[in-house]
Amino acid sequence: MKYFLRKLGMLAFTLFVSISINFFIPRLMPGDPARALLDKMEGLPPEQIESVRAAFGLDTGDSLLVQYGKYLGNTLRGDLGVSFSRFPMPVTQVLRIAIPWTIGLLALCMVISFALGTAIGIAAAWKRETRLASFSVGFFSFIRSFPYFWLGLIFIYFFAFKLRLFPIGGAYAVTETRGSAAWWLSVLRHGTLPALTICVSSIGGWMLMMRNNMINVLAEDYITVALAKGLPLRRVKALYAAKNAILPSVTGFAMSLGFVVGGGLLTEMVFSYPGVGYMLYQAVNAKDYPLMQAIFLFIAAAVLVANFIADIAVMILDPRVRDGAA
Amino acid sequence: MGSVPTLELRDLRAGYSTKKGFVRAVDGVSFRLERGEFLGIAGESGCGKSTLAYAVMRLLRDNARIESGQVLFNGTDIAAMPEAGVNALRWTGMAMVFQSAMSALNPVLSVGEQLTDAVLAHRNATKAEAEAMAVEMLRLVDINPDRLRGYPHQLSGGMKQRVMIAMALILKPDLLIMDEPTTALDVVVQRSIIEKIDELRRALGFSVVFITHDLSLLVEISDSLAIMYAGKICEYGRSRALFDEPLHPYTEGLMGSFPTLTGPVVRMGGIEGRAPDLLSPPPGCRFAPRCARAFEGCGREDPALRDIGGGRLCACRLREPGREGGRR
Amino acid sequence: MIKDFFLTLVRNRKSLAGLCILAFFVFVAAFAPLLAPHPAKADRVVTTRLVKAETGDPETVAEGEASDVREVETYRVTTVREYEKTTDYFPLKAKPGKGHPLGTNHAGQDLFSQLVWGTRVSVSVGLATGLFVTLLSLTLALVAGYAGGILDDVISFFTNVFLVIPGLPLIIVIAAYVAMKGVLPIVLILGLTGWPYPTRLLRAQVLTLKNRDFVRVSRSLGERPSFVIFREILPNMISIVMAEFFASSMAAIMGEASLEFIGLGNVTVVSWGTILYWAQANGALLSGAWWWFLPPGLCIALLGTAFVLVNFGIDEISNPRLRKR
Repeated sequence: MKYFLRKLGMLAFTLFVSISINFFIPRLMPGDPARALLDKMEGLPPEQIESVRAAFGLDTGDSLLVQYGKYLGNTLRGDLGVSFSRFPMPVTQVLRIAIPWTIGLLALCMVISFALGTAIGIAAAWKRETRLASFSVGFFSFIRSFPYFWLGLIFIYFFAFKLRLFPIGGAYAVTETRGSAAWWLSVLRHGTLPALTICVSSIGGWMLMMRNNMINVLAEDYITVALAKGLPLRRVKALYAAKNAILPSVTGFAMSLGFVVGGGLLTEMVFSYPGVGYMLYQAVNAKDYPLMQAIFLFIAAAVLVANFIADIAVMILDPRVRDGAA
Repeated sequence: MGSVPTLELRDLRAGYSTKKGFVRAVDGVSFRLERGEFLGIAGESGCGKSTLAYAVMRLLRDNARIESGQVLFNGTDIAAMPEAGVNALRWTGMAMVFQSAMSALNPVLSVGEQLTDAVLAHRNATKAEAEAMAVEMLRLVDINPDRLRGYPHQLSGGMKQRVMIAMALILKPDLLIMDEPTTALDVVVQRSIIEKIDELRRALGFSVVFITHDLSLLVEISDSLAIMYAGKICEYGRSRALFDEPLHPYTEGLMGSFPTLTGPVVRMGGIEGRAPDLLSPPPGCRFAPRCARAFEGCGREDPALRDIGGGRLCACRLREPGREGGRR
Repeated sequence: MIKDFFLTLVRNRKSLAGLCILAFFVFVAAFAPLLAPHPAKADRVVTTRLVKAETGDPETVAEGEASDVREVETYRVTTVREYEKTTDYFPLKAKPGKGHPLGTNHAGQDLFSQLVWGTRVSVSVGLATGLFVTLLSLTLALVAGYAGGILDDVISFFTNVFLVIPGLPLIIVIAAYVAMKGVLPIVLILGLTGWPYPTRLLRAQVLTLKNRDFVRVSRSLGERPSFVIFREILPNMISIVMAEFFASSMAAIMGEASLEFIGLGNVTVVSWGTILYWAQANGALLSGAWWWFLPPGLCIALLGTAFVLVNFGIDEISNPRLRKR
């Protein structure tokens, strides 16, 4: 229980820090872009100035502390300001369009690459001496050093451009009516290459980590005991080896979540996939600061929540953590 | 004796393949273990005792293997037996208690699960029946059956070791091999564990091979003792006789290495030097470089384990018949 | 001990391969001026040659007697030098061919030269950031691990907090506000966002070592903390610090390339990432100009693989279980 509360507390505090980062970054940067922005806005429609105010909590009269308080209040109420580039849409509304695409893509990919990577890692460790195992280690290490976006470019080049098997970008065919079967089919088609990019890039990390963990676990005494007991190999592999080896992987999952999300962002940019990442790209180019910050906050919050879920998973799997022994 | 010995080793050789060659940790070991007998194997670290234990249980993996020789369990040679046959014997015929109970218990499975899965793997029992057996074993080792649902990290060192003993005996094997089971425990707990093992042996009738580097433990509870050095047995005999009159210089050194609680204060002996490298052992007697009583014949020929009479075996030129110091 | 470490690294096949690749790139980076056929941003070759050089005969302009014993004569010699300046503009978006093994980009700049010059920037940014992050996180780890107490609690707490905040989005947001002059901002941004993970790792190692007997003996003998840290703890951490350095460098190279690809880096600096940026901005992909976007990415991948290989070697050295048997 104490573990649970502690992790919950961390979640809340880190969220708070993320929100604060959003507040302070524009103010801490050399040249005070927030102020400069406000100056640049002289003569713009009052609603747009208001959106800057909401995004930055800027009010020329108030002290920093009051601004901060107003900003926190606004954020917690869900008011993250109005987008510059899609004026006068509020930022949250803009986000809502993009979020499902990103979550769909990333969630699917992470599950697939974690599951596959872990399975391959277990196999590679169990049958260490085989050629296939050594080859897969080298292969995945090489794949892992590919920049996400570059892998995406290569896939586009080969599969979309040269072979014309898949579309070059976008999430769905605009020619189909939304919700129809053909439309869903086009969604799958459009999503294949981005999904492939993310999966291929991240699978290597899981696989290598799991292989390492398994090798360490297989050297433990309780594995020898399990074999001495004459237990069926399947049980030894699953309940004695894998169940122990997966614990550091789950923690590692939480930590590399941010990394995979970053990769997902880049992939979206390359494929013009209308998710949160591509939106961030457009926001940066259009200097739409409120949107940029809101996206950052959303991503941070999502990663933190996912981390929290991973912590809960560890709690369920590892009895030592449950008792506070670990 | 008439009955088939529980365990008989005939010239067993086993070791590890390394880049530099084969390290023969067990180099021609032979002995007999009768039904219900308690054999202690003593020797310093690296003499090959653990390799011996693993070889008997057919647990040598990766680059370790049995090179040659026979391991007769209840009369059947299991050294070259296919895996399936050996697996059937595992835990049902022979079981092992490992050195560090700390890491020998799976941290993510409950105590009960670890006790019952051995039963369920070898017998057609229901889960309830297996649990009943587990409860019975826990009671035998004086552990509260409530611990069944608990996890290893909730147990103390001594309790973990007792769980391991319960786990090993759950299928009532004929042979129990114990590889330094008390090394990581304090002396008081050591005593209770040893006494418990003795008690269980009398109740259930299994044979024990008890491996340790601490001779003092063995002397009181074992029936026979084998002293191992550099992969070979250098002395063997009934415990009391061996203790009263050690024949091999190494055994003498070991005896002189632990103080007695009673009697006059004696200058401690100890044995100088280090065990030989088993990758390329020296010609002749392996203990000769460290032996205070070595003579030039010792370095030439490796003395065989010879029956000196009275059930005593010794591998030392000094004890050869005809030499002074030898026996009739 | 450091020498032993490097010797073992060289003996391990995987890390040797990695080190060779790394050495290759460092070599290219160092000798870029000699290896690149053109300056990075050159879009033309200007050759000047002397066509005619004529010196005329002396012409007397004035002469006279300044005094009885002095004559002054002024004469003029006119020299004419005629030059022919040939400016060969590189073709725009050319395919690989004569003179341009990797073709040219949208501004007519030679892509091969850019790749070579870009190696300098990418490798130095990567290694510099790696060094920065390693030093920063090592310092924090040593302070937190050794000092313990409240200092440790505070540092650990903030490490854990910043560890879970996703890196790339944060980098993007910060970079969007910063005016990129040169590459120093990138190094700083990457460094200041990349410290939590190594810090946590190194701190764990410091704690393990601190509780080992040889350190305890040292401390109970009353050795100064600086002695304990620098002579007892640090030398035993070399392999993990090196592993961290290589991992951070790899992350930095990826991060830098990513930032530049998005356009948040300094697009006037030529590096592997900016080459990709311009490739993307000019639709290289869609016009099938694989020679534009393939080589820079391949270089990043190769350099990344080099770091991974070295780390494999380090892993096998410090964890014998992982070694081949």
